[in-house]
Amino acid sequence: MAITQNKRREHILACLSPAPSNERIVRTAARMAAAFDCPMTALFVRTPDFDAAPPEDQQRLRANQQLALELGAAVETTYGDDVPSLIAEYARLSGVTKIVLGRSAAARRRPFGKPPLTELLLAYAPDIDIHIIPDTRARASYRPRSARETSPRSLLLNIAKSTAILAGATALCALSDRLGFSDANLIMVYILGVVLTSVVTTHRVYALASAVISVIAFNFLFTTPRFSFSAYETGYPVTFIVMFLTAYITATLAMRYKEQASQSARIAHRTRVLFDTDQLLSKAAGRDEILHAAGNQVVKLLGRAALVFVSENSELTDALPFAAPDQPMPAYDEAAERAHAAAALAQSKPDAQAAGAFLYFPIRMGEHVYGAAGIEPGGNPPDAAEQSMLRSVLAACALALENEHNDRAKKAAAVLAESEQLRANLLRSISHDLRTPLTTIAGNASSLLSSGDSFDAATRRQLYSDIYEDSMWLVGLVENLLSATRIEEGRLTLRTSIELLGDIAEEAVAHIVPKAKDHKLSIVQEDELLLVRADAHLITQVIVNLIENAVKYTPPGSSVRVLLKCEGADAVVEVSDDGPGIPDADKARIFEKFYTGAHSVADNSRSMGLGLYLCKAIVKAHGGEITVHDNAPHGAIFRFTLPLDAALAGAALSAEGGLTRE
Amino acid sequence: MNKITILVVEDDAPVRNLITTTLGAHDYRHVAATTGEAAVMAAASHNPDIVLLDLGLPDIDGVEVIRRVRGWSSVPIIVISARSEDADKIEALDAGADDYLTKPFSVDELLARLRATQRRLALIQNGGDRQSVYTNGQLAIDYAKGCATLAGEELHLTPIEYKLLCLLAQNTGKVLTHKFITKSVWGSSWENDIASLRVFMATLRKKLEKGPDSPRYIQTHVGIGYRMLKVE
Repeated sequence: MAITQNKRREHILACLSPAPSNERIVRTAARMAAAFDCPMTALFVRTPDFDAAPPEDQQRLRANQQLALELGAAVETTYGDDVPSLIAEYARLSGVTKIVLGRSAAARRRPFGKPPLTELLLAYAPDIDIHIIPDTRARASYRPRSARETSPRSLLLNIAKSTAILAGATALCALSDRLGFSDANLIMVYILGVVLTSVVTTHRVYALASAVISVIAFNFLFTTPRFSFSAYETGYPVTFIVMFLTAYITATLAMRYKEQASQSARIAHRTRVLFDTDQLLSKAAGRDEILHAAGNQVVKLLGRAALVFVSENSELTDALPFAAPDQPMPAYDEAAERAHAAAALAQSKPDAQAAGAFLYFPIRMGEHVYGAAGIEPGGNPPDAAEQSMLRSVLAACALALENEHNDRAKKAAAVLAESEQLRANLLRSISHDLRTPLTTIAGNASSLLSSGDSFDAATRRQLYSDIYEDSMWLVGLVENLLSATRIEEGRLTLRTSIELLGDIAEEAVAHIVPKAKDHKLSIVQEDELLLVRADAHLITQVIVNLIENAVKYTPPGSSVRVLLKCEGADAVVEVSDDGPGIPDADKARIFEKFYTGAHSVADNSRSMGLGLYLCKAIVKAHGGEITVHDNAPHGAIFRFTLPLDAALAGAALSAEGGLTRE
Repeated sequence: MNKITILVVEDDAPVRNLITTTLGAHDYRHVAATTGEAAVMAAASHNPDIVLLDLGLPDIDGVEVIRRVRGWSSVPIIVISARSEDADKIEALDAGADDYLTKPFSVDELLARLRATQRRLALIQNGGDRQSVYTNGQLAIDYAKGCATLAGEELHLTPIEYKLLCLLAQNTGKVLTHKFITKSVWGSSWENDIASLRVFMATLRKKLEKGPDSPRYIQTHVGIGYRMLKVE
């Protein structure tokens, strides 16, 4: 067979059965998996009547499962009686591309029976390749028997219904007969009775019996001679046969229609639930939300309490309880439940679940186990349909978790790459820029040591003050570098607390005042009590850097003003000066790393272009924005925002309320 | 007049030299120790008036030194830390340190801290923290009456503001951490308490420090806490 050009990775599904020929199917599937170098899954659909299968069948199934395991397949079991739809659904959810099954399963066809498995599979999963392995050996000895429940209660109920309808039909016939209607009317009434029986009972046998009894009753009660099983008219035997066949075939069709209607209702319900689940899961952000959405969906679906365990590094950690609607969460021992869930996950036998207060199902995608979901069995364990829906929800949940996991890994890798890049740039830049002040400090100090006595007092003083100023510059640089590493080591290192913006601004100004004796610094608080959630040190640094910049790039005597105000949901800080302003060409690039502009400031070599870049990074990490504008009539305004916390505003208000109550 | 004894605990020789030279030049007596163990011994034997303690010591952690010394002495301790992390300072302050200096610090800063601590010492020696009326510049608190006045005028304070003011006054010169204050006033240290603390402190300061020329009574240590300053 030609290998498809499809880029999708192949995934082969072998259908397990207890048939002797199944071994060959497993081996063929394994060979295909080896040829495509792709994963293989062996699936057994366990129908409710399989428990009644002979022990040798069960034995053979276990042998086949063991063989599949040895050949490197993942062995799975699903539960239900709608075999083709379960296989198709499993294939869809697990991304299976090829299904391998045996002809014995393929060619089972009876008149009026269900279409063969392959045809149904094709209908359910039209885009999956189906490979049928010829079966030269004996037919499977195992044939599913009726899966219908045969409790005495339902038997009696069905018989009662059939009898009542039959009696009703007979009574109606007696009435028609009395009124002198023809035989044709009576036959129609009986056929109607049989069709009704087929609609209200759960098995075809009742319709069949009803048809037979109707014919006999018609013969006995309404044909001459009355009250005898013989009939005078020569046409009657034909009438009886036609009557029987008509009744039976109509009833069969009605019954099949009923089955299909209930099946399509079931499928519609399942589709609806899965659709909702998919939507909820795609809306959920983060692992916990996904698990919560899945847990809630399971509870909504089954009406049972659920306990979801989160798996981290193949250890089950947090337990998330989901109570059934309008019911308290059942009592459970978390440690014991965790052990049960772990046992269920570790179970190599595919169809055995560990028994605890909850029944556990794995949440997994391929090799990755994301957790286990336990549902409360209550008095009645979940039936096959429930289990199959549960598995669908859990599979969708696992898929969502896998996507989320991959996204996170991708983002982490991107952040890592970016910070590596920054570190490299930083090191290059630092090693160059540190040399200038260090040369001055070391040179000046060494001249003072060796020949300090020969300098006059003014020269010595100049050397001392140069050393002092250069070291102070280094102090500032180290502060900025420390902040830069903290920012770049991952945004999580923000140590935020609730801060009064006014306090931070005052601290920043107090820090600058001794260095800016030639400038007029002022703080204006248009709005007071601006509470923000911020890293005090980093925000102080932002304001310090902005003021330092303003001081550095404006002539002595200029004034620098720090303005605090509130705008909507943001606190705004503006640092404005009345210097020459910033050319438009620089405005766009001013926040870039190591951008120093074309300023002809005397100590341009000392400007590493780190300060504003850092300001931007810090403000961004706080969820704010930094911009630069022109001041009127001249000068620059640097402006940044910090989100005000709504909850904090409430707290602040209640505290302020305390002021008026005296 | 400055003849008080200062124990300098610092393992780095140049920094120790810088500090001792500065102290000598300003008429302080000093004793130096280079390890934590030696510092505890010196604190016991020399009975210093102030301890300058570096947090990064070769043998035991500086915070541990504070805990041991606080076992028997209430000598004011000023922590010197190269770590710019607030957490370390807060830990030291909560362990019983009175004040802190972050490296690199200027000589002026060091001397200012020493003067502030000396004022605190003088206050304690006068029994100022136990008197029923507290005075600091124009601020006066009558603990018995439960009222505070500024320049003779009664301050209209909410119960919580008054509590805060008393707490700060009783620890004049000492940096109190946010946690310490919220625990003392609210009994808890939830985030909302800290938000409220910020607001109460801001309003309290507004009532105490009217106008730009008025002396500063309360000093804000961003990220750490607050301190009542002794105003001359």
